[in-house]
Amino acid sequence: MSLADAQLLMLVLLLLGLFAGLASGFPVAFVLGGVALLFAGLGTALGLFDPSFLEAFPNRVFGVMTNETLVAVPLFVFMGVMLERSRIAEELLEAVAAMFGRRRGGLVVAVLLVGALLAASTGIVGATVVAMGLISLPTMLRNGYCPRLASGAICASGTLGQVIPPSIVLVLLGDQLGNAYQQAQLKQGLFAPDTVSVGDLFAGALLPGLGLVTLYLLYALWVAWRQPERAPAISEAVPRTRGQLLRAIVPALTLIVLVLGSILAGLATATEAAAVGAVGATVFAALYRRLDFRRLAEVSLETVKVTAMVFAILIGAALFSLVFRGYGGDDLVHQGLASLPGGVFGAMLVVMLLMFLLGFVLDFIEIVFVVVPIVAPVLLAMGVDPVWLGVMMAINLQTSFLTPPFGFALFYLRGVAPPSLPTAKIYRGVAPFIVLQLLMLGLVASFPGLATALPEWLYG
Amino acid sequence: MGLSSDAPLLRAIDAVSGTAGRLAAVMAALLVLLVFGLVLARYGFGLGSVAMQEAVLWLHAGIFLLGLGMAFRHDRHVRVDVFSARWSARTRARVELAGIVLFLLPLCVFAVWISADYVAASWNAREGSRDPGGLPGWYLLKALIPLSAALLALQGIGQALRAARVAFPGEQPGA
Repeated sequence: MSLADAQLLMLVLLLLGLFAGLASGFPVAFVLGGVALLFAGLGTALGLFDPSFLEAFPNRVFGVMTNETLVAVPLFVFMGVMLERSRIAEELLEAVAAMFGRRRGGLVVAVLLVGALLAASTGIVGATVVAMGLISLPTMLRNGYCPRLASGAICASGTLGQVIPPSIVLVLLGDQLGNAYQQAQLKQGLFAPDTVSVGDLFAGALLPGLGLVTLYLLYALWVAWRQPERAPAISEAVPRTRGQLLRAIVPALTLIVLVLGSILAGLATATEAAAVGAVGATVFAALYRRLDFRRLAEVSLETVKVTAMVFAILIGAALFSLVFRGYGGDDLVHQGLASLPGGVFGAMLVVMLLMFLLGFVLDFIEIVFVVVPIVAPVLLAMGVDPVWLGVMMAINLQTSFLTPPFGFALFYLRGVAPPSLPTAKIYRGVAPFIVLQLLMLGLVASFPGLATALPEWLYG
Repeated sequence: MGLSSDAPLLRAIDAVSGTAGRLAAVMAALLVLLVFGLVLARYGFGLGSVAMQEAVLWLHAGIFLLGLGMAFRHDRHVRVDVFSARWSARTRARVELAGIVLFLLPLCVFAVWISADYVAASWNAREGSRDPGGLPGWYLLKALIPLSAALLALQGIGQALRAARVAFPGEQPGA
């Protein structure tokens, strides 16, 4: 067996080891790093791996520590947790549901609209799905809503936070794509490379994100029109006064204008806007008399836990990709993608298919940190537009939240749904929404302008 | 029943992770304030400070590096629990124990070992920021890497003790 064959064998074993480790249920971050380390040790002992690849590890970690873009992550987490714990998100849903509930299909429309509003103001999937699952699911089920439609709408609109900016997925994706884009251009001998920023991605994702909401709404209205028994009007909604309604909607709208507006207007970076949003959410919590020292401490502690979880995976994935590269995996992927029939189209199709399939077993963070650094430089070197690629990936990754068995949104909803709602119904309920997402993916693929026009118009 | 003999050790480990985590939480609140303050200073008064920009990064790094252990203690790290959800508590505990011994502890030892030279070189040079007006003491920031790995390893030992109680009941000394 030649050295190259032996290395290939080790690569295959590395991937198998990774999947076996993940299936054990041990935390993903430590499996990524631990499996990589085991194979690095084994390969070093067998003379198949050059351990000097590992020496880059501390510098990689330091790069994550001093990365100004990634500072947006704890700030957005803080903002989202504050909105959740101060029950501002919950009140928004109750108010909008009261506004629409008396009409046929009104509750599902309310869920979709609130999902979009929360997505545009925070972008944390778990909080949105849990809040809507706790508040609207029981009401919908009690009033004879079709359980599949109800649970599908809650899961799907809860995941909008990943695509509609500001979103943590887009921050992480923007960081990884930015690196990949520079790498691709340096390889081509461009030493004054163009950059792609998180702001570019935010602007690019806005139209497709809104398009997705529109598709969801059209589907819900179609169901309410053709099969009214699945989405009945409900009478128990307590009407709100205009003042109550305003009080519930103002925080979300203000934060959207502040955060998204300042980024799209080119006034602030994503990180700066995130800090403004975090302070804004805190001010609203204080205005609504929901803030005391205990709550602030609780929100800060929760922020630390979520942030540590995200960065643990980032660091584990960094070690994994060093070992993957040490075994020649990067070159192999490069050659494989470059030799596909159909050129750029073929390569793009394979990458999208791969990400969609991985979404069934992995979560978006792992895919962003493991797959993107490996495939993105190749695609970008082939001339793929970075903003378009990022938006395509974001929409594709959004489905990973909904695809069973390992879809986060499904877990969260299962956690708060009444036991009388069978898991199978939740799974079947999200299917139409996954189809709508794939439709959107197809639209952006056919009309790249959906993603690229807005950033070009805004930033030139 | 009764507390097993490792209870004081567990309490001590949890206290260390908890203290580091609370320190990180203070840093999270400070981060929000500091970045917001910098935005105000820049857009309101046209002021900027390299040192303060770098302080943002110190806080950011502190948040996740000091919070790793606490997140593990509260089981907040993402797991793929499709299969393990169907196992008995004892099987899960055995797998957890194996994961800690096979993956987590070697990872922490590796991180301390591989970053030792990296930090030592920086420490000996008393490395500071490369930017004029930046903060001194970058070696302290770099030293967070092995410190964080050590804290995570400590909590790993704690979680291993917890898992061992469930995995091998009745074999606990003093149980």
